[in-house]
Amino acid sequence: MNTQQQPVRTLKRVPRSPGYWQDVWRRFRRKLFPMLGLAFIGFLVIVAVFAPAIAGTKPVVCEYKGTLYFPALGYLNTTWENPIFRVDKFRGVYPENLTKNDPKAWAVWPLVYQDPYRRVRANEWPGLPAAEPLMPPDRYHLFGTDPAGVDVFAKMVHGTRTALVVGFISMGIAAIIGITLGAIAGYFGGWIDSLVSRLIEVVMCIPTLILILALIAVVERPTIWHMMAIIGFTGWTGIARLTRGEFLRLRNTEFVLAAISLGIRRPTIIFRHVLPNAMAPVLVPITFGIAAAILIEASLSFLGFGAPPPNPSWGTILDAGRANLSKWWLVTFPGVAILFTVLSYNLVGEGLQEATDPRLRDGRA
Amino acid sequence: MTSAAPILEIDRLKTYFRSAHGPVKAVDDISLSLGLGETLGVVGESGSGKSVTALTILRLLPEASAHIEAGKIVFLGRDLVRLPKKEIQKVRGRMISMIFQEPGTSLNPVFTVAQQVGEAIKLGGENSAAKVREKTLQLLQEVGIRDPERIMGSYPHQVSGGQKQRVMIAIALSCDPKILIADEPTTALDVTVQAQILDLLRKLRDERQMSILFISHDLGVISEIADHVAVMYRGKVVETGSVLDIFRNPKHPYTKGLLACRPRLAGDTRRLLTVSDFMEVRKNGDSIEIIEKQVPATRLAELQSRGRERLLSPKGELTKLGITLPASNATFVPEDQSPILRVENLEVHFPIKKGVFRRTVGEVKAVNGVSFNVYKGQTLGLVGESGCGKTTTGRAILRLVPITSGKVEFEGKNFLGLRGEELRTARRRIQVIFQDPYSSLNPRLTVEAALTGPMKTHRVGKNPADRRDRAAATLEECGLLTEHLGRYPHEFSGGQRQRICIARALAVEPEFVICDESVSALDVSVQAQVLNLLKDLQDDRGLTYIFISHDLGVVKFMSDMMAVMNGGKIVEFGPSDEIYRNPSNDYTRNLIAAIPDDSLSSIERRQQLRQLHA
Repeated sequence: MNTQQQPVRTLKRVPRSPGYWQDVWRRFRRKLFPMLGLAFIGFLVIVAVFAPAIAGTKPVVCEYKGTLYFPALGYLNTTWENPIFRVDKFRGVYPENLTKNDPKAWAVWPLVYQDPYRRVRANEWPGLPAAEPLMPPDRYHLFGTDPAGVDVFAKMVHGTRTALVVGFISMGIAAIIGITLGAIAGYFGGWIDSLVSRLIEVVMCIPTLILILALIAVVERPTIWHMMAIIGFTGWTGIARLTRGEFLRLRNTEFVLAAISLGIRRPTIIFRHVLPNAMAPVLVPITFGIAAAILIEASLSFLGFGAPPPNPSWGTILDAGRANLSKWWLVTFPGVAILFTVLSYNLVGEGLQEATDPRLRDGRA
Repeated sequence: MTSAAPILEIDRLKTYFRSAHGPVKAVDDISLSLGLGETLGVVGESGSGKSVTALTILRLLPEASAHIEAGKIVFLGRDLVRLPKKEIQKVRGRMISMIFQEPGTSLNPVFTVAQQVGEAIKLGGENSAAKVREKTLQLLQEVGIRDPERIMGSYPHQVSGGQKQRVMIAIALSCDPKILIADEPTTALDVTVQAQILDLLRKLRDERQMSILFISHDLGVISEIADHVAVMYRGKVVETGSVLDIFRNPKHPYTKGLLACRPRLAGDTRRLLTVSDFMEVRKNGDSIEIIEKQVPATRLAELQSRGRERLLSPKGELTKLGITLPASNATFVPEDQSPILRVENLEVHFPIKKGVFRRTVGEVKAVNGVSFNVYKGQTLGLVGESGCGKTTTGRAILRLVPITSGKVEFEGKNFLGLRGEELRTARRRIQVIFQDPYSSLNPRLTVEAALTGPMKTHRVGKNPADRRDRAAATLEECGLLTEHLGRYPHEFSGGQRQRICIARALAVEPEFVICDESVSALDVSVQAQVLNLLKDLQDDRGLTYIFISHDLGVVKFMSDMMAVMNGGKIVEFGPSDEIYRNPSNDYTRNLIAAIPDDSLSSIERRQQLRQLHA
């Protein structure tokens, strides 16, 4: 057959086999505990996203003086709460002010009328009793109240966001740094590898917690974002080491050598041939890292060095529980939440490890 | 040959593996019998269930995934299948012991040889340290280790592969077993070392009156050692008989195919028969049906006539090298044609680095002054044992390893001077097909992506649709189907993967292909198909090959010219038929002599000797 001649037929589409990640998902799906973990994380994401609609004192939607507003968004970002309510002197209390200023106003309210930042006064909502400090759980305060009289359930719901964001952002930073440096070190080797390896060793020696404490002492108004940055900038070493190892291994596999002798460009080799094959094992420490980051944030808050109030955080509730040991609800609910979240991430990580393990795949004879 | 009373009888044994898609019948209703002092060779390709049979005998399979569905394994009146765990422990090592393929991983790297052999001896009930040492020494001498004292104090990484296998055999013999199960014990070894290990096993068998269950994929090796042969195919024993019967008069089409499809040193065909010439496999629901086919005379004639004759280097060059011109019907490259690839004094040295500052303290001369010319359309075979530098030579030409010194000219242009973008575009013209079809394909790319990606880089094909068409055409040219474009590598068998690797190399339309042990990881039946394919492609596309292999038979079948390498140097160079017929170098002669000889006369001679011994 002469290959220079143009093939006459034109092909129709051929069915494509399921790809690697589809296959991983197929394996992952069959495992009970990792799936439970994943479901729990999914549940937390929903809670975090819809927190203002689950517990709060601001309407999710309301019509006020002929315009639609979404005051509950103010829980996510204070600037998203329309200034009209400040101008009209609502002072954060919506139910009576809405009807007082505009009799035609209507609103859709959160499921639970409780605020994560302040104590709710009597009859703010028709029939709602005033919150006292350290009330045990009852039908108005599902998880009780803290020493300031703030509802623990509302704090927990809004704290979910902090817990998730801390995990994702800090490990996102760590993953970007770790994968980039590890890939460079592993692919190019030589002095670049030595340089990056020494850098990894130096960073590994920095104690994250102490660095954060130092930061809190130095920075005037430390926020949760500072903390995430520090966890991210110190937590990439494990990921970098693993990526480096994978790249070193893959660099000399025959398919990469074949790609080089096919004359494929270096960036294509790195991003298309090596990186996707190195990702699966790297994903595992990332999930474990998320769990660790959540624990770090919780422990800092527990020690009283966490994100400053009014940031709701599970660790802060635990901190309050430390001073009031007999008030079981202050310890139990956030404690269980942290336990299950960390456990879920670890289960997912383990499930991923099993689903991506090359020894369990490919069926080499 | 005396058919002595059987010491081990396997009766209707079935070993199944659990899998997501129902049970896998690894061993499906087989019956075998091993006589006292007899050697039974079990031969079959990968997945035929021969290793599983061996592991079932000692109940070494993981219980989580494998289970013995039915059958009996009777050893000295006891059924091993139904023996309690404690009892089978006493059988393992003491009555029946086993040696494996990979001597490198069978020994524990943190203990010395003496400790590991000693441990096995202690298991046999010997406790005094002095006696253990004495017996260790004696065993190592028995397995032919020349300086046992030094080896005893060494760690596994300090001794060679052949010696490791000897140590493994010593451990296996430590409790004087009645049966030795040898699972591909020589497959990972060089052919000269293989010959020594086979000699050793023959000697031990005669001296100790031991029965051996010898498992191998290689009929040549089986012919050297077995008294009886069982041929396995897809979990079943398709034929049993004495070694002479099997080789003289094979009955089952699969056996006939296996015997015919190996490239033989003495053979002179231009193409190989394959197993599919002898039989057709039909799926019949759950089971398979094998239908025998007659090989037509036209096909046999085609093997002789298809393709070109040997294409030898120009007469002038051969006489200059001091090679007498062969009288056979070979064609010669015209005198005025210049070589497509000229390699001159190629040297590749790897530095040995030591210490904290990684100072270079010496170097390994992997390739130490290699020169040859390859002409367009020719195949040059590079043959030699592991570590001889043949693979490094190939990789140096491909510029995958840094070259210490020397010249590589491709079509008269200096290939080593190319840098950057120039080198990248030039790479298209020299392609490579590696040994391991599992690691040489990116598991994350579909076949289509693997084929069209490089085409795009080199602007082969006008647009994506055109490249797809070309990819499909190339696949079909390599014996695959268009539907395979959308699949991932793990969905293919080893042979199919190797065809994909070939298609990928051809997709960028190279002129020159380096086959680096390209068929060594394949089963013999698949190997024959791939070798035929490579030859067909060479004829159709006018390709030039460098064919690298440790297997002299394969290299001789493929190559016009052959270079025998040893210690980084070419020790003999010439037309491949001439080298086989008339080797001038001692190393080449040893290499040829060490190849298992499965000619009927040799088997007869060996069997007569054996009867004299018994």
